[in-house]
Amino acid sequence: MAITEHARDAVALKAKRSKQTRKRFFGREAVAGYLFISPWIIGFLLFYLYPLLNTIYNSFTRYKLFGKPQWIGFQNYEQLLFHDPVFAATCWHMLLYVTASTVIYIVGGLALALLLSRAFPGNHFFRTVLYLPSLMVGVAIGSMFVQVFNAGEYGLFNTILGLFGIAPVNWLNNYNNPEIGLVALIFVNFWFVGGTMLIFIAGLKGISQTYYEAARIDGAGAWHRFRYITLPLLTPVILFNTIMTLIGHIQVFDTALIFAGGGSGSVGVSGLGSVLGYHNSLSTFLTYLYQQAFVSRNYGYGSALAVVIFLITLVLTIVVLLIFRRSGNTDRW
Amino acid sequence: MSSQAETTRHALYQRGRTLQRLSIILTYIILVVVAFCILLPFIWLLSASLKNQTQYYAVPIQWIPQPFVWSNYVEAFTRYNFGRYVLNSVLLAIYAMVVNTLSSSLVAFGFARFRFPGRTLWFILMLSTLMLPSQVLTIPLYVIFRNLKWIDTFWPIIVPQLFGSAFNIFLFRQFFMELPKELDEAARIDGCSNLRIWWNIILPQSKPVIIVVAIFSFLASWRDAWNPLIYLSSQNNRTIPLGLLYFTDGYTSVYPQMMAATVIALAVPVLLYAIGQRYIDSGVAIAEIK
Repeated sequence: MAITEHARDAVALKAKRSKQTRKRFFGREAVAGYLFISPWIIGFLLFYLYPLLNTIYNSFTRYKLFGKPQWIGFQNYEQLLFHDPVFAATCWHMLLYVTASTVIYIVGGLALALLLSRAFPGNHFFRTVLYLPSLMVGVAIGSMFVQVFNAGEYGLFNTILGLFGIAPVNWLNNYNNPEIGLVALIFVNFWFVGGTMLIFIAGLKGISQTYYEAARIDGAGAWHRFRYITLPLLTPVILFNTIMTLIGHIQVFDTALIFAGGGSGSVGVSGLGSVLGYHNSLSTFLTYLYQQAFVSRNYGYGSALAVVIFLITLVLTIVVLLIFRRSGNTDRW
Repeated sequence: MSSQAETTRHALYQRGRTLQRLSIILTYIILVVVAFCILLPFIWLLSASLKNQTQYYAVPIQWIPQPFVWSNYVEAFTRYNFGRYVLNSVLLAIYAMVVNTLSSSLVAFGFARFRFPGRTLWFILMLSTLMLPSQVLTIPLYVIFRNLKWIDTFWPIIVPQLFGSAFNIFLFRQFFMELPKELDEAARIDGCSNLRIWWNIILPQSKPVIIVVAIFSFLASWRDAWNPLIYLSSQNNRTIPLGLLYFTDGYTSVYPQMMAATVIALAVPVLLYAIGQRYIDSGVAIAEIK
């Protein structure tokens, strides 16, 4: 008894003391807090806010490698949005690429997560195999897939098509149908569904088993359990994955760049043509930005392009948020 | 009557069990097929990296090279300068790992443990920077770095790491929020400075998140192609992604050597995953959803 009382006193004393300390240090606490987050604030101002404002300003100017920016009003935007066939093609590529990739990521990731959310021997092995490639995204995996999609009969992908009696396809240097490179670029996404899968598995674990038991007692079949329990309760995770996938794919760069070069190692050598692929068939937002700003050194025009990409991303994110909000269940957000 | 009901129940139970067994078998079949498809290009890559030119172009594919041409790896390192590129990449990645982990955890400590006006606002602002592609901000940065004469040096890549990165700060902050406050309050009463609380009390309790952030910072730097492509130009400054992008030898094909270099680039994420697997599996997914 006495011990408990003593302990209680001690706790009370401690609480009181800590409250006093907190009050006494409130001013100091604020200063200390700001000191600790100051690295990020400085980074934000230097590497985010200033470049953002500067990019917006530059987008209204003519600004080349040498010389100062000259104000030209909306000319860059007018050129970009209404008279630039490369940009129009890029938008079309991105629409296809981002939509297809998002579907692959979400449907593929969710399907695999459903398979792997149960416990069975070997589960961990499969999870590892499926997840590992998503850590490898980048030029290296692109350099592998350029060879996998090689035009000749010796290319791995064509060999597999050959098993089904399909003639070899020239994937990355097809001058008759340059768009086919985009199909290859989309296809690569199947290798990266492991990342979304892992997040879906964690989300599925968060759903209480009691719902499923109750549904089973009520005689609900597997589809109904998925449709009326899993899907609604997983909405926040699906939302998270969708937004992350969208943003990630709008930023596609390295794979597109190395695919555009066709593995010739000529990215820096011949400039424009190989950065965007034959007839610009593999242009993405970022490869086009790279080409305009850092190959052709059109800083003003590149800035307008940057602002447009920025706005598109922003609008897309908001639209996805709104769609999910309308379909309900975003409490956890 | 009751025996009949029992028979029905037994039949239902049997049916359920068969169904369950069937679905497990189906699951295995699907997973084996998917895993095989995923692994196939990597197996091909490994084998291609050990082939000579003739084997490389052989139809049908020669899966086991005869003989194994290990010299592809040696050539990648020496003739194609990958020794230098690997060194650059490793140094930059280790630097990013150490510095970004430290700076991000420091900032996260500020967000998690102090109350100050504007805290929520800054935090939301930080999260919103995650939503937008940072590459679109490169032009002004390039101009700044050019004026500082930093082009073709590692400074434009090194310096921004000092300020932490939003996603890592977010991960750390979520983790720190879960840690009990008693310990640091006790330490504060004992006269411990805030920096020492961060270093001696918070960080030692945060091993899982430190490992996850460290691995992810390393990998982010390892695979970054955008910044090196824009800020670095001379051959000796190249990192592995640049080396792969410019991999060429005039007009002769050097694909086996290039595949050897690709294997080197891809082996590192596998290695890191093997080290931090336990933490990545649980840590990442949970932290990302919160």
